[in-house]
Amino acid sequence: MTEMDKELFTFQRADDSESEHIAAPIYSYWRSVFRKFFSSKIAIVMMILAGIVILLSIFQPMISGYDPMKTPYINTPSMKYIRPNLTYWFGTDDKGNSLFDAVWAGTRNSLFISFMATTITTVVGVAVGMWWGFSKRVDVVMIEVYNVISNIPATLVAMILVYAIGSGIWQLIFALSITSWVGTAYFIRVQVMIIRDREYNLASRCLGTSTFKIITHNILPYLISVIMTAVSRDIPSFISYEVFLSFVGVGLSEKDPSLGRMIQQYSPYLVSTPYLFWIPVVVSAFISVSLYIVGQTLADASDPRTHMI
Amino acid sequence: MSTNDVKEKEVLVSVKHVDVTFTNGRKKFRAVTDANFEIYRGETFALVGESGSGKTTIARAIIRLNDISAGEIKFQGKKINGKLSKEDKQWVVRNIQMIFQDPAASLNERATIDYCVSEGLYNFNLFENEEDRVRKVDWALEQVGLLPEHKSRYPHEFSGGQRQRVGIARALIMEPSFIIADEPISALDVSIRAQVLNLMNKFKKENDLTYMFIAHDLSVVRYFADRIAVIHLGRIVEIAPSVELFRYPLHPYTNSLLQAVPMPDPEIEKAKTFNAYDASQEVMDETSRLREVRPGHLVFMADSEVEKYKQKLEDMEKLHHAE
Repeated sequence: MTEMDKELFTFQRADDSESEHIAAPIYSYWRSVFRKFFSSKIAIVMMILAGIVILLSIFQPMISGYDPMKTPYINTPSMKYIRPNLTYWFGTDDKGNSLFDAVWAGTRNSLFISFMATTITTVVGVAVGMWWGFSKRVDVVMIEVYNVISNIPATLVAMILVYAIGSGIWQLIFALSITSWVGTAYFIRVQVMIIRDREYNLASRCLGTSTFKIITHNILPYLISVIMTAVSRDIPSFISYEVFLSFVGVGLSEKDPSLGRMIQQYSPYLVSTPYLFWIPVVVSAFISVSLYIVGQTLADASDPRTHMI
Repeated sequence: MSTNDVKEKEVLVSVKHVDVTFTNGRKKFRAVTDANFEIYRGETFALVGESGSGKTTIARAIIRLNDISAGEIKFQGKKINGKLSKEDKQWVVRNIQMIFQDPAASLNERATIDYCVSEGLYNFNLFENEEDRVRKVDWALEQVGLLPEHKSRYPHEFSGGQRQRVGIARALIMEPSFIIADEPISALDVSIRAQVLNLMNKFKKENDLTYMFIAHDLSVVRYFADRIAVIHLGRIVEIAPSVELFRYPLHPYTNSLLQAVPMPDPEIEKAKTFNAYDASQEVMDETSRLREVRPGHLVFMADSEVEKYKQKLEDMEKLHHAE
């Protein structure tokens, strides 16, 4: 038997802490959210689309200075009903104004109303929903409030309010968000009730953590993805809401251009000059769909259960 | 530890005539009925019973997660149930801590280990400055065999045993005098159980801790607990020092629990006749209560059963001495 070369062997120390070591790279929540989001091609395309629409609606009206009350070509028949061409990308309308300018000014108002109403709905809804889910006394009152409000058609409330307080952007935002937060609050209340008594929250209570801190540190981080889902559902729904209210004639006034007003205004031209009707409809659909898909993908990506694969 | 030693010891926790009733609308459910026991400083007191017997409910009542509907719970001679002042609540939190059953569910998945462990420190400002806090967290993690590099990790990156040790570190950092361990090892892999039990024993010696250990399995508590209380359907049926309980199990329910412990011997297992417990094996009337049959050994029985149990104990003693 040949002797083994001793130099082939080295002594290895046994170290218990070695087995405790975690080899995986450090986990970062937001980095994982972005990685997950950008792994979806359709979401990237939709985000670019939504980005272009939002940028156009912010900056294009600044350049064009579009005002629906200014109609310099109203007595120039040759400027009216020009079909889309290289000079007037979206053509001109019944007053001789460029539809391209009108669409982006309208989109700006529609988006602004929708973003504001969503913000108010989400902030108020989440805050009330948290309180509602934790306090039994609040629950007794709020469940009745919810039953009453959710049984009145929200459209009716919004229409009556606009009639009562007059039309305008801020009035419309108020009318849209006055009842909508109740739905979000109820949704959050149910979520809070589901995770309120989980063991990790009991553990926090055993460590003397206050209810407020449990909400901000234990509950809210868990609800980011469901709140994102609610937001991505609310933004497009408020856009279509505004379009609908303006379409039936109770939304914005003559002074404020909006997609809904345009669709309402141009619906008689559906046969004669269809582009006047279809362009605002298509833009409105584009915004709704792209924002919804971006929001849903972001909501999925913000759920850490999707990070582990 | 002999029973006489226990008698002279200081009572740390006393539970007297405690009832816990859960109400759901009009329906009432009595989870715990007339619980009476004392836990002495420095011992490990085990509460054993099947699922739904109310052992966790008692534990949660002591740590103030559940309200009790009758009775009194005292800690170091001070009443800790019902309405308390803010200072008293903090005093309870700082002195009584809990280790939870499911390590996967008891840690906040959205917080780093650093936050999980220092949550209690933040709540009571138990650190002088940031360095002091880091030092304390590092110390607690080291105590349970985890590394400082784990602080920036999230709970889902850990194994069950590691997570349970994070749970222990979180309780330990509060420097409590009494720890309630609610089935701390039942969700763990068998190979990890001994590690966690050894850790808990180490801290008991080093930090002068008292444990209340909840289990559904007598074999686990046999070597770990000093005294064992057996609970069935919300009622404590037998309390005895653990050696005594395994030698002279008197109550029929204790008997059937002991029989359920598997023996690593096929011959014995084959010959075993199972005696499933049902309520007809004992008398239940208004005289039923815990009575002492030997110092430190209490059995739940009615007046009419006193003679029966005395006889049973004598028979068992004879049998034991004959062996």
